[in-house]
Amino acid sequence: MKAGDDHGREASLRVLADELRDPLGLLADVSQAFATSLDLDETLENTVAQISHYMHAEAASLFLLENDDSELVCKASAGPVDVVGLRLEADQGIVGKSVASGQVQFIRDVGEDPDFAGFVDATTGFETRSVLCAPLLLRGHCLGAMEVLNKGEGDGLFDASDRHLLQVLASSAALVIRNARRAVELVEQERIRKELELAREIQATLLPGRGNPADPIVGVNIPAREVSGDFYDYYRLADGRMAFSLGDVSGKGMNAALLMAKTSSLLHCLGKGITRPSELLAQVNREVCESVTRGMFVTLVAGIYDPAHDEVCLANAGHQPPMLLDVAGAMTELPATAPPLGILGEVEFPEQRVRLEGRRLYLFTDGVTEAPGPSGGDLGVEGLRAELAAHGALPARERLERVVAELAAREALRRDDITLMVIESPGETAHRYTFEARAENLEGLRVYVDGVLRTMTCAERLRDQLVLAVNEACMNIIQHGYGGDTRDAITLQILNNDGILEFRVEDSAQRVDAARIKPRDLTDIRPGGLGTHFIREIMDEVDYRVPEHGTGNLLVMRKRLSNHEVARDAV
Amino acid sequence: MQCDVRKEAAFDVVTLKGEVDLSTSPAVRQAILASLEAGAPVAIELGEVTYIDSSGVASLVEGYQTAKSRGLPFTLVGASESVMGVLELARLDKVFPLAATLGELTADGG
Repeated sequence: MKAGDDHGREASLRVLADELRDPLGLLADVSQAFATSLDLDETLENTVAQISHYMHAEAASLFLLENDDSELVCKASAGPVDVVGLRLEADQGIVGKSVASGQVQFIRDVGEDPDFAGFVDATTGFETRSVLCAPLLLRGHCLGAMEVLNKGEGDGLFDASDRHLLQVLASSAALVIRNARRAVELVEQERIRKELELAREIQATLLPGRGNPADPIVGVNIPAREVSGDFYDYYRLADGRMAFSLGDVSGKGMNAALLMAKTSSLLHCLGKGITRPSELLAQVNREVCESVTRGMFVTLVAGIYDPAHDEVCLANAGHQPPMLLDVAGAMTELPATAPPLGILGEVEFPEQRVRLEGRRLYLFTDGVTEAPGPSGGDLGVEGLRAELAAHGALPARERLERVVAELAAREALRRDDITLMVIESPGETAHRYTFEARAENLEGLRVYVDGVLRTMTCAERLRDQLVLAVNEACMNIIQHGYGGDTRDAITLQILNNDGILEFRVEDSAQRVDAARIKPRDLTDIRPGGLGTHFIREIMDEVDYRVPEHGTGNLLVMRKRLSNHEVARDAV
Repeated sequence: MQCDVRKEAAFDVVTLKGEVDLSTSPAVRQAILASLEAGAPVAIELGEVTYIDSSGVASLVEGYQTAKSRGLPFTLVGASESVMGVLELARLDKVFPLAATLGELTADGG
């Protein structure tokens, strides 16, 4: 503030004060003139100047409690010596006493008071004769205190009416200060909110868009706050393979978001040239280690999916194990093989390779598994597995969005970012049907298979035969696998891989000895044993396997949709 | 699935309609065997069968064999395209006596 302004304001205040001999007038002036000010320092300075002037004080100062109320700091002063910035212990001197007691301190003659600190005089040369100090009280809470020194008229000492006046003015000042503080806080909050919003917008541009529905990789992310520490990315390389990454930066807020932005940018940029996940992570790790704030780190899975070989190659730096789910919803986890990024500069990141073969590979952050489960407590890995399996028939994006929406619905105040990604074979169109192994359910099965086949280019006659073959396979399971109707499940999955239909039928019955399953000799005319013959007659390939999780049976049947069939369908 | 038995000429005519599968074939089997045990020649009308699986075919095979052992006529009448498709798959289209219509069968005086 310029000196000229000071003089101008002082002059006008003096005129104002001269006119307002009534203390209530001053009160109204103090309250109204500054209550709308958003500048707290200016408000305080004006308040002190006005009060000092009105009370004919030689000097006045206002102290506010700071540092968790441990210190009193002078925020404004009027008079020959500027003491703004002076710091006192919260209980020091007359100001401290006023604050501690919540009472007005009135020392008509300082020379006779043992509490007077004395040091102000020694350092400033100002001779204090009379002190009046009132606490700034607002609803029982003390913000600080206001002090006037040496009355400039009469005997130079304050009297009882001054005491009463300062008490009233101090209360009013407290209100002004509180309002100004709140206004400043609101402005600051709004500024921060806008900055975070901008940061979130920038961050959102770092995540991939919705992508092509035919992409074998889909991801979803919901940030808990305006900015996120989670990230994921995927994009197609020039050779047709897909690069992907998913990670979580330790901590929350802006620091985490900045490290997230850096890590995902490095991965996106370097990943186009370095297609070995082990090399990519080693390189990104070195970069992150060079600049990371102590104590921060990044857990991350990055890899390549090769649709031509249906193979995923990935490296896991301290991240939650990705989850491989098969048709029946059984899970295989791929645990981390290296520490998180940003901890040690020279670390190896061993690669893991896995062929999907109709299975789905899910990657996720701890915001997913630590979200509330359906029956309270954390969702956990098993809970996530169950949710994903329950929605297994949905297409990938709908499936992820459904699961994430259910998590969000259970958590009113989301604690953590939620990020979930799936990689699945491109031919997979998620035709999946699970039913209790009972004869009465076969009709529903046939309707389902017929409906799926109608979405494909498949001649009517072949469609009927394929429905029959799948029905026969499931009938065999009911009759011979489970030994009759049961509540146990049969799961069918239908895949279309470039014109080769694959039917995968899985059960949890006793292991079947494939060698004993033979089509009957058709010259021997007798009831029974026809089903297996039908299957072999209709399908190109029939393969009895043990499911990945080791129990039950998996029957894989394949049929090529030939041009001949297609042509006949078209006629 | 619907399975009705009526007398027509000398025959017990078993008329099947709808889907014959594992859940419905036991009723078909029972109806056929009951007629044969009563000593009646049996004609199975299959014109309105929309689906038949190996359990349904097995019931027909069992009926055919029982009839044969008792010297009784056993004929499939007006088999729908879907039934014929399955019989062909089972190579049974040349095994079962087939008639296009019930009239064709009764006119033969069988």
